Amino acid sequence: MKFFRLIWKNVFRKKTRMVLTTGSIVLVLVLIVVLVSLLNAMEADPSGGRGANRLVVQHATGLASFLPLSQRQRIEQIPGVVAVSPEIWFGGVYKDDRPENFFGQLSADPQIFFDKIFDDAMIDPAANAEWKATRNGFVAGQNLVTKFGWKKGDHVQLRGTYIPVTLDLIYIGKYRAGDESNIFFHNEYLNQSKWFGANRVTGIYYMKVASTQDLPRVAAAIDRMFENSDAPTKTMTEKQFQAQFMEMMGNIKGLIRWISLVILFAVTLIVANTVAMSARERVTEISVMRVLGFRRSHVLSFILSESVLMSLLGGLVGVVLAKFVIIPGMVKGMQTTPMAPFLINFRVTWQVLLAAFGISVGVGVLAGFVPAIRSSQLRIVDGLRQVV
Amino acid sequence: MAIPLKYNLRNLMVRKVSTGMTVFVICLVVTVFLFVLSLWSGVTRTLSTNASDRNVVTMRVGSQAEMQSVVTRDSADLIRSLPGIERDAGGQPLVSAELLTLVNIPKADGKSTNVQVRGTSSAGMALRPSIRMVEGQMFRPGTNEAIVSKVLPSRIAGVSIGDTLKSGSYRWKIVGYFDASGSAYDSEIWTDVADLQAQSKRPIYSIVYVRATDAESARRYIEAVKGDQRLKLEGKTEKKYFEEQMVTGAPIKVLAILVGVFTAIGASFGAMNTMYAQVSARIREIGTLRAIGFSRRSVLVSFVVEALLLCLIGGILGTALAFVLFNLVITKPTGTMNFRTFSEILFNFRLTPPLVLGGLAFSLAMGFIGGFFPAARAARLKITTALREI
Repeated sequence: MKFFRLIWKNVFRKKTRMVLTTGSIVLVLVLIVVLVSLLNAMEADPSGGRGANRLVVQHATGLASFLPLSQRQRIEQIPGVVAVSPEIWFGGVYKDDRPENFFGQLSADPQIFFDKIFDDAMIDPAANAEWKATRNGFVAGQNLVTKFGWKKGDHVQLRGTYIPVTLDLIYIGKYRAGDESNIFFHNEYLNQSKWFGANRVTGIYYMKVASTQDLPRVAAAIDRMFENSDAPTKTMTEKQFQAQFMEMMGNIKGLIRWISLVILFAVTLIVANTVAMSARERVTEISVMRVLGFRRSHVLSFILSESVLMSLLGGLVGVVLAKFVIIPGMVKGMQTTPMAPFLINFRVTWQVLLAAFGISVGVGVLAGFVPAIRSSQLRIVDGLRQVV
Repeated sequence: MAIPLKYNLRNLMVRKVSTGMTVFVICLVVTVFLFVLSLWSGVTRTLSTNASDRNVVTMRVGSQAEMQSVVTRDSADLIRSLPGIERDAGGQPLVSAELLTLVNIPKADGKSTNVQVRGTSSAGMALRPSIRMVEGQMFRPGTNEAIVSKVLPSRIAGVSIGDTLKSGSYRWKIVGYFDASGSAYDSEIWTDVADLQAQSKRPIYSIVYVRATDAESARRYIEAVKGDQRLKLEGKTEKKYFEEQMVTGAPIKVLAILVGVFTAIGASFGAMNTMYAQVSARIREIGTLRAIGFSRRSVLVSFVVEALLLCLIGGILGTALAFVLFNLVITKPTGTMNFRTFSEILFNFRLTPPLVLGGLAFSLAMGFIGGFFPAARAARLKITTALREI
């Protein structure tokens, strides 16, 4: 530690170089924080892990097929089932066709929805009661409300795509949860429109069982019950249900991971190159230090510490800038791009920031390693003889 | 007078390690940039390949995808009598009423995906001349036979000729492969429309696909559909329909720009570092150059050119790396989700000439940013101080 001042001075010896190197670390870290947070937002587990005892029942052939509503009662009778809500993905168009206005629109049974099934979502009890009583009312995730600036009593029109009706909904209140990209409205209101499946079919059943141990048994019981019916089912945990969308984007996910790795490697090279250049310019100086009695291990730790210190500074600035300046600005700027639907659940968690900071230290160590060893291996006579 | 290019080249050669590392960084950055861009262009190309403006998709007003639409049998019959439709040798209008559905089936890697199933007829094939059978035979009506795109078996389990594909209560016997030359149809399973209606218990159609005699009559047909109050349908050329599906690729483009901008600035900082080091290591050299008569401008140009060279080499290597990657490593088609249909579309990475040029321009931009400021410093040096430097 007594050499800290020396290392510090050496880091700032060439200001331009230092600024440029930390600058590239900052940029890469910000980019990685954005990419990783984007992945997390896509993967958002709506329950944040707490809704482990929820199941989703869909048609065995996939989401394009409807399930008969008559199945609800039979599912409810299975022991261990707490509550079942039919849900329909409306998939309507809000305002215009542009992708940035896309969000999840689901119908549900309000009498049990927040009380018994989606019970880890936080909703004001008064708002929940009002929603139950308002046939054409809807509740929306906090982030979605912020994005569109909805106020209580606002009318929202959704033009149906595969269900050929237009819904005129009234905003009642917001809920908070891991996934805040959806709105929920009454099944009854949708049925009132007399669409072709009204009161006859649903898209999925969203349901809750008493305990985690019941999950496999109940899921198997449901699928067995309807196996030979007109509408065979596929019952999954909520997590598996979400995962099927992620699996389809599987390549994108892997791609982002690869991109992150490659650019990390690239920035390590940039830092390594900088450290090597600065060590090369100081060959004479290093030899003089050795003559004065500093050991090889001293030289090694000086150069390595320099690299780590520089990366650390970059990491610190990068993390702070990412969290407070660049990412908030970027998220705002991208609200009008096709990326917007992915940003609804976009959060920069401290875990990600911490990991990014850790990565910056790793970059410093990796980058400083080779130049540090090379400088420490230098023979004093060669170093003194060399004209730089 | 300009300083010879050879001077820059030899300088780059002398500092092998430093040059090599910088070149490598640029190379990686260019590869990543091309990778993301070609992902976007792959999706776009799939959705625009062979899309014709003579073929018209007739679907329900407001539907964003074929699968979301419903066309009744009566409407389908009415459509046959509308103007603008080409007729075959027997005088029959070239019309294919089709039903679409989505099945969730396992992929070759054990995960599952949604694939679009198109119930059609021999007319559907005749209307799309770019699609042809390459192996096996066409499905026969009334047998629940199906044909799949020839690229599908590499990605989806159990869809080779002879397999029976099961999903829920659906059963299809795969009897042939078709080749849709890389268009969106290459992600689909085709079967007989009446069979699909029976299996799905939906006695309706999703869309009616029509071939017009030419682009002008396609417009006439679209007008006729719009004007017919009984139908409540709208017509779109196949080209327009797929253009609208391209929103699916748009987030990837934003991602490409994001990654591109950040890495480019980061890498040009790296290049700038290298060039600054070059300038300070060569101060006496610069002084000498100025002393023997080269102007400030020549020095400036020379150093910018050196940085451009440095990055261009990286750019060329990066493009080559991307080329090798797309042609030798990633040979199978890749898939991503079409958010309009919730089904998977398959596409190939391919390096198109505009992408190659884009990658090279990208590397030159990094070179210019990275070279200009160090070059300006070099050019500003006073001859006397530069020569005095040890």
